[in-house]
Amino acid sequence: MQAAGSMSSMDHFWLIIFCACVAFIPRFFPLLFFTKRKIPDWFNEWMRFVPVALFTALVVKSVFIDSKYQVITTGNLGMIISAILVGFVAYRTRSMTLSVLIGLGSVMLFVLLFHI
Amino acid sequence: MDTGTLLLEFFTGMVLEAFLVKKDEPNWLMVLRTVMPLGLSYIPIGLACGVLLHAAGFNHLLTALISVLVFSGGAQFLIASMLTINAPMTTIILMMFFLELRYALLGSSLSRYLKGQSLPFIFTFAFSMNDENYAVNYLKFATDKHWKPSQALLVEHYSLMFWTVSNIVGSLIGSALTINLQVVDFALTALFIYMAIMQTKSRLIVLVALLSGVLTIGCLVIMKSTLGLVVSTLLASLTGYFIERYLIAHKPESHLLYKVHDPTGQSAMEESDK
Repeated sequence: MQAAGSMSSMDHFWLIIFCACVAFIPRFFPLLFFTKRKIPDWFNEWMRFVPVALFTALVVKSVFIDSKYQVITTGNLGMIISAILVGFVAYRTRSMTLSVLIGLGSVMLFVLLFHI
Repeated sequence: MDTGTLLLEFFTGMVLEAFLVKKDEPNWLMVLRTVMPLGLSYIPIGLACGVLLHAAGFNHLLTALISVLVFSGGAQFLIASMLTINAPMTTIILMMFFLELRYALLGSSLSRYLKGQSLPFIFTFAFSMNDENYAVNYLKFATDKHWKPSQALLVEHYSLMFWTVSNIVGSLIGSALTINLQVVDFALTALFIYMAIMQTKSRLIVLVALLSGVLTIGCLVIMKSTLGLVVSTLLASLTGYFIERYLIAHKPESHLLYKVHDPTGQSAMEESDK
């Protein structure tokens, strides 16, 4: 069990339990709070802008930001081209399956074959 | 006819089965068809995640446990990489906390569709909610008047099943598999691009998306944590909200409020609560 790191399986178990708690709290309490109360209109109006802002943030993070939180300047051209292609496919076809498949195919072509 | 052709026909039939819209199909199959694109993109990512967790010293049981209890690709990748660099437990948990804070936003924005549900339902729903199944459910709730909370919960459980099984398989094959993370991770990126595009119903929303993109880079670089995602999402969505309020009150003819053209012409994308 000492394949990597100095933690035992028991440590890993407790790590999972703590992480599960930390993951559960922000998922549960806001949802509980807002489903049990009358939601003000302004809050609903505001929340309509949240998904698009969040999805864009997640996309930009994975295409432009590395694991050390620095802007990626080289080596992500293939991802940028693929991202634009996926956006175009999604806009024209409105198909989730096609968007994901074409995105994966395109990024494989650019990253694994052309190394850009 | 040889078995190869038969097998191929069987497989094509299965795939078509999974994607074609049919009338009178049972609920579980209809929901499975909705979740299929997500489930399929979870397979390579889950495999990769299982491989990494195995390399970080997790046994198969622990990998299964973390997939069910934490159920977040980003979080599990982070835990695996932190363990391989021997980061202390408290650091990992603290990073997890900041990483998972954005779920508060997901829950808040779905809450209006889950009003009146029981406490056990909310508990179960929150337990298995993550970025991807939230995306699928938000889209369904916003575009399909008949989408029910129980179906949304089923979406979560299907995606959880795809995720956990892929993780376990990844853990079992372990290092026998080399996976390019950059490529695999792009499946989710493509999913989020699709979701963002499906949300852009007005020019103002395009503006919010652009703003969010720029803010994300700034916030992540400055804050050096995924909390940057939360801050940029809050700022961009609030800006969108205030611009819309201002325009509706003062300039109702503004070009920003124009609808974005839908090339497929299926503009049945009306908000179900309007």
